[in-house]
Amino acid sequence: MRVDMKIGLVSEEGIRILVDHFYAKVRVDPVLGPVFERVVRGKWGPHLETMCNFWSSVMLTSGRYKGAPVPAHLRVKGIEPQMFDHWLRLFGETCDEIFEHEVAEAFRAKAARIAESLKLALFFRLNPASATRSL
Amino acid sequence: MTYVVTDNCIKCKYMDCVEVCPVDCFYEGDNMLVIHPDECIDCGVCEPECPAEAISPDGDQHLEKWLRLNAEYALIWPNITIKREPPADAKEFDGEPNKLESYFSPQPGRGD
Repeated sequence: MRVDMKIGLVSEEGIRILVDHFYAKVRVDPVLGPVFERVVRGKWGPHLETMCNFWSSVMLTSGRYKGAPVPAHLRVKGIEPQMFDHWLRLFGETCDEIFEHEVAEAFRAKAARIAESLKLALFFRLNPASATRSL
Repeated sequence: MTYVVTDNCIKCKYMDCVEVCPVDCFYEGDNMLVIHPDECIDCGVCEPECPAEAISPDGDQHLEKWLRLNAEYALIWPNITIKREPPADAKEFDGEPNKLESYFSPQPGRGD
């Protein structure tokens, strides 16, 4: 993608551009495309709307997204830990194409933390017994 | 990794965090909130919102007991996603050390 001027601030408009471009790549990605397609089932419009709300909540503290991403990801058939790294690479690249370095870094840092957290929740869940130990 | 609510929330319970949390992972006790560690996605949005600076990432070793407390009570207390008025005397307790020993209540809060 060619962008004449990179975006230097986090804004709702920038998030919309990021989400649109990123998921355009995801849809044709050989690793991620089929996994997403199984869940989204062609209804990309509502999914992109949800993702805009999510990133708006995370980057602009807008409270627009309210959801439960851990159970949502637990329901995804065929999801594997290495897909998160692949997702992060693709997301990071897209951020660089759209945003100035500092803004791209801010998105990447958030994405990396969230991905790590989802990975832990999906593949290395806390032993429920340890969570009920008393102090 | 998760964020955890720590000592200074006790008796302050400002609740600004619950409005910004994208995944609704706060649970309400009588005089403090906790984060459900399996639901928190580590986005960090809540940390700077807390006027009492009571929310921290769980990476630090000394937060181990707080992680256990958060995990334990998140299973028992009701979910809270809508901010209410904080306790009238919240400011008087803001910054007081070792509130866990002095004031912590295991009773559930009202929730939403």
